[in-house]
Amino acid sequence: MTGGNKQDILVAAIGNPDRGDDGVGPAIAARLRGKVSKGVRILLTGGDVLALIDEWDAFQKVIVIDAAAPLDRPGRIHRLDIGNGPLSGHFARSSSHAFGLGELVELARNLGRLPCRLVAYLVEGERFDIGAPLSPAVAEAVDTVTQRVIDELLMMRGHNGKRGAQHA
Amino acid sequence: MPTRTLKVDYIARVEGESMLDLRIRDGVVDRVRLSIFEPPRFFEALLRGRGYAEVLDIVARICGICPVAYQMSGVHAIEDVLGIQIDAPVRALRRLLYCGEWIESHALHIVMLHAPDFLGYPDAVAMARDHGQAVQRGLALKKAGNELLRLLGGREIHPVNVRIGGFYRVPSRAEFATVVETLKRAGDLAIETARWAATFPFPDITRDYEFVALRHPGEYPMNAGRIVSSAGLDIAAADYESEFLERQVRHSTALRSVLKRRGAYLVGPMARYALNRDHLPAELRSLAGEIGLEPVCRNPFRSILVRAIEVVYACGEALQLIAEYEPPSRPFVPAEPRAGSGYACTEAPRGILYHRYRLDAEGTIEDARLVPPTAQNQDVIEADVREVATAGLELDDEVLQANCEQSIRNHDPCISCAAHFLRLHVDRA
Repeated sequence: MTGGNKQDILVAAIGNPDRGDDGVGPAIAARLRGKVSKGVRILLTGGDVLALIDEWDAFQKVIVIDAAAPLDRPGRIHRLDIGNGPLSGHFARSSSHAFGLGELVELARNLGRLPCRLVAYLVEGERFDIGAPLSPAVAEAVDTVTQRVIDELLMMRGHNGKRGAQHA
Repeated sequence: MPTRTLKVDYIARVEGESMLDLRIRDGVVDRVRLSIFEPPRFFEALLRGRGYAEVLDIVARICGICPVAYQMSGVHAIEDVLGIQIDAPVRALRRLLYCGEWIESHALHIVMLHAPDFLGYPDAVAMARDHGQAVQRGLALKKAGNELLRLLGGREIHPVNVRIGGFYRVPSRAEFATVVETLKRAGDLAIETARWAATFPFPDITRDYEFVALRHPGEYPMNAGRIVSSAGLDIAAADYESEFLERQVRHSTALRSVLKRRGAYLVGPMARYALNRDHLPAELRSLAGEIGLEPVCRNPFRSILVRAIEVVYACGEALQLIAEYEPPSRPFVPAEPRAGSGYACTEAPRGILYHRYRLDAEGTIEDARLVPPTAQNQDVIEADVREVATAGLELDDEVLQANCEQSIRNHDPCISCAAHFLRLHVDRA
């Protein structure tokens, strides 16, 4: 548990910087540092995603940034406003022992532990090789997502206007 | 009579990717193949030519669930080559680290992976709607285990603090004090979890396993002990390869281990418990009795109860180790390279994990062998599936498949470790 103020906002970046495009979350988190206002906590997590449920317990508003499995366009940005409905099947698939973001969200929902507001920014990856850098298309998306998260934070601070799932 | 074939293309809620192919001809199960189809990972080859000090960072990457086990078997085997005797506080800290891994790994399997089978849910996410409290307990237990790993290992997955001869840094007593309340609470949650699991419906099945586990004269085994079996085996880790044989089968990328003289055997919680129950504290033996766990459990579906008992044990053991902790005068014993071979076997959550290394005079690895628990349990898993399928021949394919998958999950196989693993293919004639 983070002990965050309920008025604060959590930005959770999921990923491993040493696994190619899986590092997009940490890369965006690095860009965000110093650009967000007091009251925004940036959390990097590359390990046990299930622990995020405990982390976001202390916040009413949460933004999650993660890489997505390739669908059709590497670098494509998906914004999901996770409200009442389940996560799209494309993003709900996860592995076996390791729980993914989709399962995490649905588990939290079923446990009554979803934050009041949860927005996910997902970037479609291309390659996840050990030690590889971000692929060019994904690297190109980093600045765009960074700016959109900053805008999202301003909006969360200002009002609670809801937006649906969007693709950039 | 037609052929009936069941094929499970991917077995869910196990670590890694594998498939099960089951063929029934003339009312007889005539083929059970547990196929691990993930590519071989070549970790043993990867280790060759690397320095001995690199071993622990490399082998930890074999598994995200049981990296401590790989580090523990690796560190003891390398220290065996180098002739290092570790200090007593370091030994205690290694046992404490293992407690953390047992807690997080077992909690994950009991609540998130195995319990849905008994309660009729496709997964823990669906189960959480009706059994939210149990899932919350599982998450809290996993978190408690992870906290120990983070405190002592530097981080919860692929820890970085273990080194040859000891640890890079040892926590202070004050740092350990921060996890005491968490562990006390975890112990209570573990007892509740054991009582909850005892209410599950268990199929009536008895298997005649040869159990293989470590046995230590003074403690429930984790890092030390001789390799013993229910059939009388009693050897040092250095003799493992004289008694056990790794072999390859066509339908799997993972090697399989057998006892040279007797074939299939079982490692893991059921074996540990059967061979070491006398080392559990009296109150824990009493709890085991209360939840209906017999002194030797031969029903693989009831392995969930053994895991639950081991989680309670690991919480209590961790608290005891912390209470007795005196920081070592030095965090590690210095090491000098020398040529030779070293052997070690420790108790991963899923069973014994054997490591052997041969170093040259500069400490470069010339040869390595790693035998994970799942590689040792594959023959038993296939035999279990055969028995469960034979008992359920009249069931429709969907139910039969579910029963077969559950019988595989009874052993919490880690396919990533074995090479990886599950698709079910049932062929009925």
